[in-house]
Amino acid sequence: MSREMANEIKLLSGSSHPDLSAQVAGRLGIEIARTVSLNYSNQETSVTIGESVRDEDVYILQSAATGDVNEGLMEMLIMIHACKTASARRITAVIPCFPYARQDKKDRSRAPISARLIANMIQTAGANHIITMDLHASQIQGFFSVPCDNLYAEPSVLRWIRENRNVEQVVIVSPDAGGAKRATSIADRLNASFALIHKERPRPNVVGRMVLIGEVRDKVAILVDDMADTCGTLDKAAGLLRDANAKEILAIATHGILSGNAIETINNSSLSALVVTNTVPLGDKVSRCPKLQVIDVSGTLAEAIRRTHNGESVSYLFTHVPV
Amino acid sequence: MVRNIVILGGNSHPELVDNVCNNLGIAPGERILTKFSSGESRCEIKDSVRGKDVYIIQSAADSVNDGFIDLCIMVSACKTGSAKRVTAVMPLFPYSRQPDVPYKKAGAPLSKASHPTKNGYTFESVPGTPHPGITRTQSLGPDINGLDTKLARTKLAENGVNGTTCNKADGPQTPSGAERRNAPSGSSAFNYTTHDYQNHSLLANFKSKPGYKQWVAQAGTLVADLLTCAGADHHVLTECRMDLHDPQYQGFFDVPVDNLYGKPLLKRYIQQHIPNYKEAVVISPDAGGAKRATAVADELDMDFALIHKERRPTKYSEMRNASMMLVGDVRDRVCILIDDLIDTGNTITRAAKLLKKEGATAIYALVTHGILSGDAIPRINASAIDKLIVTNTVPQLEHKRLCTKLVTLDVSPVFAEAIRRVHHGESISVLFQFN
Repeated sequence: MSREMANEIKLLSGSSHPDLSAQVAGRLGIEIARTVSLNYSNQETSVTIGESVRDEDVYILQSAATGDVNEGLMEMLIMIHACKTASARRITAVIPCFPYARQDKKDRSRAPISARLIANMIQTAGANHIITMDLHASQIQGFFSVPCDNLYAEPSVLRWIRENRNVEQVVIVSPDAGGAKRATSIADRLNASFALIHKERPRPNVVGRMVLIGEVRDKVAILVDDMADTCGTLDKAAGLLRDANAKEILAIATHGILSGNAIETINNSSLSALVVTNTVPLGDKVSRCPKLQVIDVSGTLAEAIRRTHNGESVSYLFTHVPV
Repeated sequence: MVRNIVILGGNSHPELVDNVCNNLGIAPGERILTKFSSGESRCEIKDSVRGKDVYIIQSAADSVNDGFIDLCIMVSACKTGSAKRVTAVMPLFPYSRQPDVPYKKAGAPLSKASHPTKNGYTFESVPGTPHPGITRTQSLGPDINGLDTKLARTKLAENGVNGTTCNKADGPQTPSGAERRNAPSGSSAFNYTTHDYQNHSLLANFKSKPGYKQWVAQAGTLVADLLTCAGADHHVLTECRMDLHDPQYQGFFDVPVDNLYGKPLLKRYIQQHIPNYKEAVVISPDAGGAKRATAVADELDMDFALIHKERRPTKYSEMRNASMMLVGDVRDRVCILIDDLIDTGNTITRAAKLLKKEGATAIYALVTHGILSGDAIPRINASAIDKLIVTNTVPQLEHKRLCTKLVTLDVSPVFAEAIRRVHHGESISVLFQFN
């Protein structure tokens, strides 16, 4: 019996997003490994491992919880390191929402490329494989020298649109030029039309002037982006679309970080709905924002883990939602 | 005035940064170090660092993880900004203090059923060999798991359940619950010098897999590796802590590490501020710190005593409850406790209590790092310590306001001198001896 148990999937959950871990574990039909993370009174993080990971295939799921990014990061690094020193066969960091993904280039003098730093740190800690979802810039994959699977929420998003709106009337809108590729990909697969908003961004978290390129009159305008943070962009874009006489305006974003006054901004905006996935813990935000809807991506993550463990291809998940 | 050098400070200890810069006669480098609303750190170095020798001062105070990630980001920003050399100056190294693993002396934790009194046990019943799948019986619990025991004990004390085994020799109880030495389950009361957890209830409810001995991850090497990978990797030394808790730490780094010592400062304090210090006794509160304390005692030609922490339960209840033994004589003398780090203050206040009981007239505690987290301040205030002397490797202003016994020594001249010497390629070792 004990021989058969060897090299199983061990799913370790960081403390940032226990709900997602539980859902993933449920879909895999396994139990979450017994670990507990605590803080010492001097604020250092302590991770206690309660079961053997020797020669097992370890998956550590940790998302970037809004507000506690650094705590979550350190906790994950300590967990990875702990599993490495405990002789795990392979350690895969499952990071649905990659922290610091937006700091991916040296856009000013002496600006840190924090995403690369984080990538290096995760590898230094001992991860052999990374699974993440909708990276802000897919080049971040290149920051790793170990395999990094970038999953897409797109199939889940497509399914949501097909199930909830009339595809004939939909126009997909990208709120900035950077997201045009993501939006056109969805528009193509829905066979819907496409529009783009050009914006100027003088400083981070501040949005300047915006121009709409494309036709949205009497259509259901769906703003598509990879993350909804302070929602300043989405709010302004929604206002622009309303002025352009769109029939309904909604927004779909993979990562619902929703920091700062995001909830108030959304509640007061012309958006009829904001759809996010559950890559980031939302806490009480769903109850505070009636416009917020959540797509569950635990199926995709669980299937990616299962396929990675069994050595099957993951590319199927780039275009399909697992059943 | 030193040229071609940039001193950057983290958010953890601005006073120290200013003091070090004043000592060097330069202004601290300008940087923006805040947080985005999402909780990610935002860092921008304003001054040019191209070709410069950059020193980044960050201690491990308040939110250790934030501070550490900030430091890594700053190091990497300077590195990508073409700094010639980046040196991380860490007055207190984060994660340098990890709990002693509650292993027994013999090493591997064997689960011997040491409580045959439990109901249902006969001479025939054999304790099972631990393997996956076996359900652990109740009586095996505390023996497999020292951590459980300890936490169960603190929890008990927290709930105000005062065990009846409390001994008279224990002296007046300090107000802290965690400090009580109740031995509720007889022989299983080991005393481990773990940190205090903020939220023990979580761990008390935590059960490891049957047959597996839970353990706490040690982050020490990890932190060293991460810092190296952030870019403090070039011939750069990491000015670690004033006192590394374990000197082995230097071996964790692949880069040069210069370890400064707080000893000269403490020694000078003894010479200048303790009247008749030659008559006083230097005490080490545990065997691990004996080397540190004897060094001070030897150099100042003073007497030395040691407190031995009794971890084995002995037959005599008085010994067990006292749990600390004084080796040496302190009657009618002034005692000077020397340690490297005071966190929650458990060890040192207990040591002070013992010294008072043994007849010490006055008790000074000289500690390099005064983290003073949790309920350390009220504990110190209520303890037998007359004066607590710490250095300002972590911010002490707030502590000082709350604790009248606290005296702080400024370490910034030491760091400034070390930075100057490293920059000019002079020897650091002189700093280790100066008087």
